Amino acid sequence: MALRAALIRHLRVPVQTVSPAGRVSQPSVANSLFGSIRFMSSHDDHLSKEDVADRVLSVVKSFPKVDPSKVTPDVHFQSDLGLDSLDNVEILMALEEEFKLEIPDKEADKIDSCKLAIEYIHNHPMAS
Amino acid sequence: MSVASTAAYAARRAAQRERVRILYRKALKDTLNWAVHRHLFYEDADNLRARFEVNRGVEDPDTIDRLIADGEAQYNKWRHPDPYIVPWAPGGSKFTRNPTPPEGIEIVYNYGREDND
Repeated sequence: MALRAALIRHLRVPVQTVSPAGRVSQPSVANSLFGSIRFMSSHDDHLSKEDVADRVLSVVKSFPKVDPSKVTPDVHFQSDLGLDSLDNVEILMALEEEFKLEIPDKEADKIDSCKLAIEYIHNHPMAS
Repeated sequence: MSVASTAAYAARRAAQRERVRILYRKALKDTLNWAVHRHLFYEDADNLRARFEVNRGVEDPDTIDRLIADGEAQYNKWRHPDPYIVPWAPGGSKFTRNPTPPEGIEIVYNYGREDND
């Protein structure tokens, strides 16, 4: 009961009251923690960039032709990791399977480095 | 090749490389369509890669064109009749299933209230 009251107090949406003089008072601070997280919402499941980066790096590290110690978020597949263009295609296919995406062929050709891959996947609306 | 046409030659080779990459990508996805189980897929993917590696050192653009055309013909012959497509992608089952409604349309929640209530 007390937990419920505390939870409701935390989830209160800040109300901006307009006084008769026309000034807008400050919203309450208590909601700053929970204002950005909406529980039970179906529109907020976009991946965060660190999440995307972690998963992309783990996929690249588990590629058999890659030395895992050299993989950083900025690495370029062909110049830094010494991979081939066909290996690039294979890595991209592994990323597509990891994030359940379908990348069109023309755009898949241009993704050459970890940084581009992370950016593309982060901006893709259907990545999961 | 004369020096003046090196740019054209480089452009042609780059276009060929792009065609090869796209062909490899489609062939790999097709291999996954046919060989669903992973251990079979890995073997078939290795074989496919070996077939691409055989022609790696070819330099003559006309031979390369002919090889690419042969490869694409083989790919078209072996295409899977029911490929796996991600549901929300074109050709998948959820494609345009729930399009976003156009601008300016609103839902009026009157909960069944009639006008003469």
